[in-house]
Amino acid sequence: MIRRVYLDHNASTQVHPEVVAAMLPYFGERFGNPSSVHGFGRDARDGLDTARETIARFLRTGKDELLFTSGGTESDNLAVKGVAWARGSGHIIASRIEHHAVLHTCQALEAQGFALTYLPVDEFGMVDPDDAARAVRPDTILITVMHANSEVGTIQPVSEIGRIARERGILFHVDAIQTFGKVPIDLDAFGIDLLSFSGHKIYGPKGVAGLYVRKKTKMVALQHGGDHERRRRAGTENVPGIVGFGKAVEIRAREMEAERARLMALRDRLWAGISGEVPEVRLNGHPTSRLPGTLNVSFRHVESESIVLGLDLKGVAVSAGSACTSGNVEPSHVLVAMGVPLDWAMGALRASLGRENSPEDIGYVLQVLPPLVERLRRLSPAAVS
Amino acid sequence: MNYSDRLVDHFRNPRNAGMMRNPDGVGEDEYQGCGDMTRFYLRVMDGRVADARFQSYGCGPTIAASSAGTELAAGRSVEELLTLTEQDVTLAVGGLPPERQHAAQVVVGAIRAAAYDHLRRRDAALAGRATERV
Repeated sequence: MIRRVYLDHNASTQVHPEVVAAMLPYFGERFGNPSSVHGFGRDARDGLDTARETIARFLRTGKDELLFTSGGTESDNLAVKGVAWARGSGHIIASRIEHHAVLHTCQALEAQGFALTYLPVDEFGMVDPDDAARAVRPDTILITVMHANSEVGTIQPVSEIGRIARERGILFHVDAIQTFGKVPIDLDAFGIDLLSFSGHKIYGPKGVAGLYVRKKTKMVALQHGGDHERRRRAGTENVPGIVGFGKAVEIRAREMEAERARLMALRDRLWAGISGEVPEVRLNGHPTSRLPGTLNVSFRHVESESIVLGLDLKGVAVSAGSACTSGNVEPSHVLVAMGVPLDWAMGALRASLGRENSPEDIGYVLQVLPPLVERLRRLSPAAVS
Repeated sequence: MNYSDRLVDHFRNPRNAGMMRNPDGVGEDEYQGCGDMTRFYLRVMDGRVADARFQSYGCGPTIAASSAGTELAAGRSVEELLTLTEQDVTLAVGGLPPERQHAAQVVVGAIRAAAYDHLRRRDAALAGRATERV
């Protein structure tokens, strides 16, 4: 049997067995519609309420400031469009390295007549809060900056950007899909008005996410129907998913701190091994202010997809820094914004670690990766022979 | 993405990989869409390919298709190389997903470029000999 090592936790995670167990009754005897007044409905409503309470406690906020959505993309869309459409016009500030769920939403709003400023990042993928301050205009309605970037893991100075927003009376949205449950989030200290967070990145199910909306934030709904989620998100709630999400958060609350230290140690060991064994390699992302389990490295003269395939054949799952669709490789917009030269950006690889990874896994990767890169480089006309 | 066993085998164990010194023909092709690049080297004896080697920078399918391309080229006449098609290369790796068709394209381009290079060299050599005779 080939050893299998999953190092793609920023893409998705395996649902925690306790989460599965918590969800099962809600497919069975607790199947009711939480809006129904009868006992079946009340059972479902209880599950929903408990999950909301758990998450509210974890974020140290009120239950009525949380709403559930179908995923991170919906949360981002609802936050950004919901605020923009409530105002009707104005100026929005976003970073250049936002997830496409935010970036493409901003571009769509731009096409509708909203003004946009995209903040640059430095070589480590970090936004300069001074740039955010300088970008503010009298008509600025929203600043949206992700907490940590999914590709390179750089953690942004959100508390400083939040302070700038608050001082100027501008709403601040943070896409925390990669940090929620992994690093601490303080809504008040960070000055956050809207926060997107998701379930399947933290060992919860897919198809469920959350949006924190600070009280009195003016926002319109994107979908209309019943009075669910305080009229901000019509549609029968995904009760099993939300129950699982709540359970996942409960587990994160107790495991987060220890897991964070453990993953950082494994991640740094992986980088030490790679940089010690393989020449012409660089780390993409901030050396210290980074997601605990994220390691993005570039190998020169090798295309990342060939490394992904080579590792896959060895049972190791990582993701390529540049995505090839229909024969068109788009170098990652994040690496481009960081000024990573094209020949390095094309060889970028992301390893994202999680709770089931062991030191043995890292040892195995360090056994198979260096010879693979060496072999691919020998094939490459770009490498000096 | 699911690749054929044959493709995976060529990727894992590339045939005829590496550069060739003093080739009788060399050519390369790059797929503009993604920067994948393959270079072919030919050793020609009596008008036929005695040895073909490749170097490749690209995704797994491009590397595999290059490897398969050297096997397709071996033993053929140089003129025949000009008639190789993307379909020949695709078949040689047991099929390519539509979004990886560029692998066959770049390999056919590089083989043709190497063949043309050889024919140019041959013509130049013949012309040189003709000039000497005059």
